[in-house]
Amino acid sequence: MGWFSESPSHAAPEPCKDGGYIAPDRSARQQCWDGRDAFFQCLDRHDIIDSVKEPEKARKACAPELKAFEGACAESWVTYFKKRRVFEHQKEQTMKKLAAEGAQPLDSATAASAAALKGR
Amino acid sequence: MASILKPSMRAAETNICRQCFRLQARRNITSISTQNPKSEIRSRSNNISSTTRPSQAVRARPILTKQNARPFSSTPPACAYKTIEEAKARTKIGPFSWQAGVLFLLAGAGLTVYFRYEKARMARARVAEANKGVGKPLVGGPFHLTDMHGREFTEQDLKGKYSLVYFGFTHCPDICPEELDKMAGMIDIVREKYGDVLKPVFISCDPARDTPEVMRRYLVDFHKDILGMTGTWQEVKDVCRAYRVYFSTPPDVQPGQDYLVDHSIYFYLMDPEGDFVEAIGRNFTVEAAGRVIGDHVADWRGKIEK
Repeated sequence: MGWFSESPSHAAPEPCKDGGYIAPDRSARQQCWDGRDAFFQCLDRHDIIDSVKEPEKARKACAPELKAFEGACAESWVTYFKKRRVFEHQKEQTMKKLAAEGAQPLDSATAASAAALKGR
Repeated sequence: MASILKPSMRAAETNICRQCFRLQARRNITSISTQNPKSEIRSRSNNISSTTRPSQAVRARPILTKQNARPFSSTPPACAYKTIEEAKARTKIGPFSWQAGVLFLLAGAGLTVYFRYEKARMARARVAEANKGVGKPLVGGPFHLTDMHGREFTEQDLKGKYSLVYFGFTHCPDICPEELDKMAGMIDIVREKYGDVLKPVFISCDPARDTPEVMRRYLVDFHKDILGMTGTWQEVKDVCRAYRVYFSTPPDVQPGQDYLVDHSIYFYLMDPEGDFVEAIGRNFTVEAAGRVIGDHVADWRGKIEK
């Protein structure tokens, strides 16, 4: 979407003297993460999970947040975070489904069995 | 083979002994009736082949002639035949002389010893074969890189201290920075308790963008002890293969291209001899990881450079 984006990401890799490209430092990363969080909160408000598959819907609903997000992060990061949001959501749904079916997380399961043994 | 031989050998052995014992017992009974039992007992304990005693000489007479006929025989008089019938019975069993028995036993014992030795040797060889790759590290090995100060760095430079090896890249969106912050926490925990025993290393999987200068600037954010490492694409590929790290940097990226590197995310703990100890995954908290490293440091009986 970078090709058609009106706001090109300004966080393009910065060349370094010895031929490398300077990575974002801690504050730049934090800026990017803040932009991401604001955008995702907006998506949450509009019940949009996948902003990669529904780019127009997301752009319409959260235009300023998306612009800030894209401005603070490299394009690859933007895509990565958008995809990761979908992945995290799916993971959460699976965990919920498993929990509803009575599955217990591995750690608490062993803790529970230990507690049961103690109770006996 | 040896196991089949053994019982038959033992049977032959007991058979021979039983025969001797029977003869001896019979002789004892006769001697008790003819002479002083005390001297008889003494004569047995002294030497069986002593033929000086009159009673034995008398009794041995019938077979002494037979013994003389067989010059290489040294059968003690204790095993002598009493009657002609007995001597006949003895010749009837033919080739089963005591020499044959001894030969049989020796051969059997030799074979048993040989087979036991071979069996043990095969077992050792099997164990050695099975441990190939188990005893020696599957993770780690020789590599050649350039550190963030532009100096050469090989696996030899990891030795002397425990080392904590992490793979990543500086343009990493979230996981590497989080993990490097955790790494800084682990370094402090270990240092506080054990001193300067840990050499933390960050190896780049993205040599196209991560030059020594970029690494140095990047790592300032995390911990002063972490030594950044990079190299040519092939060098990075080689070290990743040695540490069983998967990474997906394309070998021919354009300058300034924006891309991500997919890579495995583990901390590799290596001992002061450069052998792999343990992999620490993302599920470890800083405290848990610090404890794991500390326990290994405490277990180490060798020398650690401080």
